[in-house]
Amino acid sequence: MILHYLFRRLFLLAFVFIALTVFAFSLGYLFPGDVLGNFTGLRNISPANEMILTKQLGLEQDYLQQYLLFLQRLLHGQWALSFSSQQNVLTEMLLVMPATLELAGYALFLSLLIGIPLGIVAAVRKDKWLDKLISTLALVGFSMPIFWWALLLIMVFSLSLGWLPTSGRLGVLYEISPNTGFMLLDILLSDVSYRQQALFDAIRHMLLPAVVLATYPTTVMIRFTRDSMLDVLDQNYIKTARAKGLTRLQVLYTHGLRNALLPVTRQVGLQFSTLITLAMITEVIFSWPGIGRWLIDSIYQRNFPAIQGGVLLVSSLVILVNMLTEIMHTLFNPLARKF
Amino acid sequence: MKPSLCLSLACLIAVATNGCQPDSGNIGVSGLVYCVEGSPESFNPQLVTSGTTIDAISQHLYDRLLDIDAQSGEFIPALAKSWQVSPDGLSYRFILRDNVAFHHTAYFQPSRFLNAEDVVFTFNRVLLPQHPFHQTATEYPYFDSMEWRQLVAEIKAIGPMEVEFRLNKPDSSFLSTLATDFSAVLSAEYGARLLARNALMELDQLPVGTGPFLFRQYQKDVLIRYYRHQQHWRQGSNLEQLVIDIVPDSTKRIAKLLTHECDVAPIPRLAELQLLSQRKDFVVDVQTSMNVGYWAFNTQKPPLNNVKVRQALALAINKQNILQAVYFGQAEQADSLLPPTSWAYQKPAVADPYDPVRARTLLAEAGFAKGFSLDIWAMPVQRLYNPNALKMAELIQADLALIGVKAHIVSYEWNTFRRKLTLAEHDSVLIGWSADNADPDNFLRPLLSCASAVSGSNRANWCDEHFDNLLQQAVNTADLNERRAFYLQAQQYQAEQMPLVPIAHSKRFQVRSSNITGVQINPYGGINFAMAGKH
Amino acid sequence: MKKLRLYYEEHNKGPLKLLWKHFAPQHFAFFGLVLLLILLALAVLTPFLTPHNPYLQNSQLLLLPPSWQDSGLVSYPLGTDDLGRDLMSRLMLGASYTFGLAILAVVGSLLVGLILGALSGMSKGVKSSIFNHLLDLALTIPSLLLAIVIVAVLGPGLLNTIWAIMLALLPQFVHGVRNAIAQQLKQDYVTAYRLDGANRRQLLFSVILPNTWEQLVLMGTMALSTAVLDIAALGFLGIGAQSPTAEWGAMIADSLDSIYLAPWTVALPGLLIFITVLAVNLVGDGLRVAMKKRREN
Repeated sequence: MILHYLFRRLFLLAFVFIALTVFAFSLGYLFPGDVLGNFTGLRNISPANEMILTKQLGLEQDYLQQYLLFLQRLLHGQWALSFSSQQNVLTEMLLVMPATLELAGYALFLSLLIGIPLGIVAAVRKDKWLDKLISTLALVGFSMPIFWWALLLIMVFSLSLGWLPTSGRLGVLYEISPNTGFMLLDILLSDVSYRQQALFDAIRHMLLPAVVLATYPTTVMIRFTRDSMLDVLDQNYIKTARAKGLTRLQVLYTHGLRNALLPVTRQVGLQFSTLITLAMITEVIFSWPGIGRWLIDSIYQRNFPAIQGGVLLVSSLVILVNMLTEIMHTLFNPLARKF
Repeated sequence: MKPSLCLSLACLIAVATNGCQPDSGNIGVSGLVYCVEGSPESFNPQLVTSGTTIDAISQHLYDRLLDIDAQSGEFIPALAKSWQVSPDGLSYRFILRDNVAFHHTAYFQPSRFLNAEDVVFTFNRVLLPQHPFHQTATEYPYFDSMEWRQLVAEIKAIGPMEVEFRLNKPDSSFLSTLATDFSAVLSAEYGARLLARNALMELDQLPVGTGPFLFRQYQKDVLIRYYRHQQHWRQGSNLEQLVIDIVPDSTKRIAKLLTHECDVAPIPRLAELQLLSQRKDFVVDVQTSMNVGYWAFNTQKPPLNNVKVRQALALAINKQNILQAVYFGQAEQADSLLPPTSWAYQKPAVADPYDPVRARTLLAEAGFAKGFSLDIWAMPVQRLYNPNALKMAELIQADLALIGVKAHIVSYEWNTFRRKLTLAEHDSVLIGWSADNADPDNFLRPLLSCASAVSGSNRANWCDEHFDNLLQQAVNTADLNERRAFYLQAQQYQAEQMPLVPIAHSKRFQVRSSNITGVQINPYGGINFAMAGKH
Repeated sequence: MKKLRLYYEEHNKGPLKLLWKHFAPQHFAFFGLVLLLILLALAVLTPFLTPHNPYLQNSQLLLLPPSWQDSGLVSYPLGTDDLGRDLMSRLMLGASYTFGLAILAVVGSLLVGLILGALSGMSKGVKSSIFNHLLDLALTIPSLLLAIVIVAVLGPGLLNTIWAIMLALLPQFVHGVRNAIAQQLKQDYVTAYRLDGANRRQLLFSVILPNTWEQLVLMGTMALSTAVLDIAALGFLGIGAQSPTAEWGAMIADSLDSIYLAPWTVALPGLLIFITVLAVNLVGDGLRVAMKKRREN
């Protein structure tokens, strides 16, 4: 049964990727500028080269053939070149991707760490002042325009108090070779004399962006956990358990928590898309060298191959994460299975 | 649930307090961070003109045959111990300094000191098409705009440590050219090594020079890392590292200064000067600078090919306004391309030709009584000569509306912007120029001569025989008074033809943390950290 | 005085009145509603209300501080920006750009979503299944990414980002409408109506839609906060509204240059965005609670 389910998901995934690549392919035609340039990323193509490239891309054939050739190039890693750097877009993206994943990862971790406990506390203390305080805070965080929030934090913690740096991932005087692309890991792997200080410095750089990025998901987590917990606490089996003489804490732990947190795990997957959107804005403000800033720069540069590649890669990633959390959720939660 | 909540809070507090400890200053590396506004286009000054690139590479990596003393403006020896000019002005001989070491880097280990071969290699690259490295670059913009290939006949080594330049005609600005940041001396041995490996492009990407710092690492749009050159022929700096941090956004640059993430930053944003000069931990260095911010019309495009239209547009803009809003009063109004400090400058009879009424009449005479629409390209970056082109464009837009001209503001990302400019896709553009030396020729020729219209630095695409003639006559004579007369005529003619409207001459400001000493600003662009220290 | 009732009478208030009965006592939600109404009035009436021309530059009055500071002027209550434009007028005009356009985007998107959702909710089979899966997919694509694509194709500008935002909101509306319809289809009264011989069209228009509109309003409110935030964020990034348009996000980006000298030019537009979104969310939450309470009674 499970195999059948997985197989269906896999089929859906394949279908989705095809749809996505078709979309990306059509962008080559939709973008302004000439099609050949958009697909190859080359500039100022000479007439002789133009002939060869047209042949290579199959541009004189019908759209289906062109698409198949496009797909082939994608699978072989021969993505278009970036207009601005004349490097393979995929290579460039794989270089900046870890920075985004690192930031998003810490932010997600923070939001779970803070959001879930606060949500539970709010649910348990429903309509008491603690619940009201938490709910109000969550609503405020939920309504905060992220870029403005980031600016406020920078004004207070960096410019007025001078505690935290305003941009980048690490003080520029530290020289850490990027092995994995994940800063903390790279520092731990390096053998420089100033490893400890560099680690501290990296955490100081991480703090503000991570807090800014975590704000929105945290509030969503609080609200969602609270609602889900209230739903569960309303169930008859909780009342039964209480009636059997279990303490509040026992009930909460053995019956409430597990059932309430199941929908929350699914929420994590759904939040990933928002997280990426917010990460893009955060990266721009904090000059964080990740995929978001890279994409926004591409827009400023009218760098069409980069936008095409970026859209393809980021959407794939988001969809993959979504699909994975959904599968996990289904596997852990017998009720969600509708085989 | 409570324990985990407490734990998480404890974690947060721990992280926060660790993070919040003020930087003790001892970070295990001694180095200086210089924040600049853009990435360099190349690591070889021969190939570029932009002040950003020059600031980021030239003085750190390379030395020149001679330098200009910042105070007196006189030539002082650098790689050349001494030099001689022949009486007819056609031959220049340089005796080179002994024991000048090239950089030892991961990609090149020199086996010898600097000699005449290196100088010949360097300048022949620009001069001779058959030079193995000549074709790796499409142009040598500074040298092209100075018409160097027509000027220099031959460069040859007379002895192991002696070089001669032979000219086709006398040129009074020749030594100035050699003292600019563009005339950096490269290593011939490195060139030969690259040639053997067939990796010609690396000459301009992985630089080797004799300068006070050597190249270590470059990440585009992020940073350039230099290490100290231990065997520099001058007494070297005590900094182990020099990091050029690339921060295009000026607001962020100031933020980084305030948090001491930057030690030194050029600051074209004048608004914050007041703020910074009040703080004890910063020093603001002010230096008069040879630059001009201007509004150039693409004189090849109708209706801007009409002189009257250009004059009308020039009359319509309120420069005083712009000086207040864009330069915050920290610049002088420009009434010529040349700044008042130049020896060829003369104050014109009418100081502020702001006259929208006359502008309307002129437009009507040109047949545009109803006005027309016009693109104003505003550069997306901050420069000394124009700290905020977009804002300036908005002001001009409002001014032009008064005479019935509908202006449309256009901006692209900087590299795209310059590429499209070179293709002359613009109607008009707000941009500027920082001089490389004190010679007036360095303003007029690169900005308005026919040669520069081809090489690209002439944004007005203006090519006028009479004007070119005046410039030529000026450099053919060594007599200062005669030259001055020619330059005055040229400026007069430019003011009549109005291919561009000079707007402002800005001062140059540099902000540094007060614990940094020994930073030298060159009035002709360039900044030098060879003597810099951090305390 | 209570009216004398002679005989037992079923006394049911209309659903709308009931909803209001549960909504009004929530002080915060009520406050949010008042704020929203003010903003709405501002968005519509701004052209007649601004004390100065929002685009008029005054070089004599650059970066004038708000009037409560010593050097401020009463005629410029919130000061001026770096080109001498009256900040208050610009902020008022911003209401119609950021908030007004957000409403239009949501309404437009909701209408299209209603049509598509009704079509998909009333149909069955493979076609509907594929459609649903595609929709789930589209739900996951980040809205900013979508906006980037549209801006790349059409060029930057406020209007183009509105299309992007409408497109980004669409899947959730279709999804919501479809679920609401599916829920209705299970209800007994729908079955009853069907047994009476109503065809699918009649079913949709006379039973299902009237019973789902509240949910639509709720969805719209939730989407409105997203739309405001997105418009502002895109304006801030410089790919939405272009200067000198007085859109709040773009105003923040414009004023970043003077943040050290005139922090209020950055603070005020941000504050307005925050207040707007907060008001929308308060109303949304209030509605949700009121609907839940009404169902429980």
